[in-house]
Amino acid sequence: MGSHFLHLLLFSAIVAAFFGALLRRRAAEQWRLGALIWLAMVGGTLALAYLMYPFPH
Amino acid sequence: MSVADDTPHRPRGARTSSWRVGLTAMAIVSGWLIPGLGHIVLGRVRRGIFFATLVLGSFALGMAHDGRLALRDDRQAPILSALQVVANAGVGVADLLARARVYGVATYSLPRDPAEREYGTRLTILRDRTKSIASIYGTAYLWAAGLMNLLLLFDLWDIGRGRND
Repeated sequence: MGSHFLHLLLFSAIVAAFFGALLRRRAAEQWRLGALIWLAMVGGTLALAYLMYPFPH
Repeated sequence: MSVADDTPHRPRGARTSSWRVGLTAMAIVSGWLIPGLGHIVLGRVRRGIFFATLVLGSFALGMAHDGRLALRDDRQAPILSALQVVANAGVGVADLLARARVYGVATYSLPRDPAEREYGTRLTILRDRTKSIASIYGTAYLWAAGLMNLLLLFDLWDIGRGRND
């Protein structure tokens, strides 16, 4: 798998599922926290990438 | 992802504290050696299987992408390289087996003397693995797997102490 973006989605999913299950006991809360972590990781990375876009390598 | 309501049915009668401490210690050791097994030992079977899938899945992805199996290097950045080894070793036996397959021997460090033949051999293998573009992702998966499993040991401690029911 060579796509950087797919790695971002997959890695975020693993980490989000882990912390969702670790830090919450009820299923609904686990899903909610997992989704929040996943969105924060993916969204934060894309936002950072967008901010860095104008700068040269 | 639902691993809720996984509290086991307890037998009637109070368990002695020494029995509980022993069981917790056994769960922590087995949980480190084989991810998820500690939770199963404490009766959280679904939770154990779920965490085992996550940790070992992440570890397998790391190996498939030529992740860095760090070696402690006394000559360059001994503390940082040791921390990398700790992150790797968090997975337990799976990391040991992976090292035996990759380096030919289950090792966690480079020899102290660079003149030793093994020093050059291990360094070459380590550098060859990290040449591929995907290796940096592989390293992230491997370290995430190890660190997640180390965090699970604290969860086992809490469950064993009765603070996580």
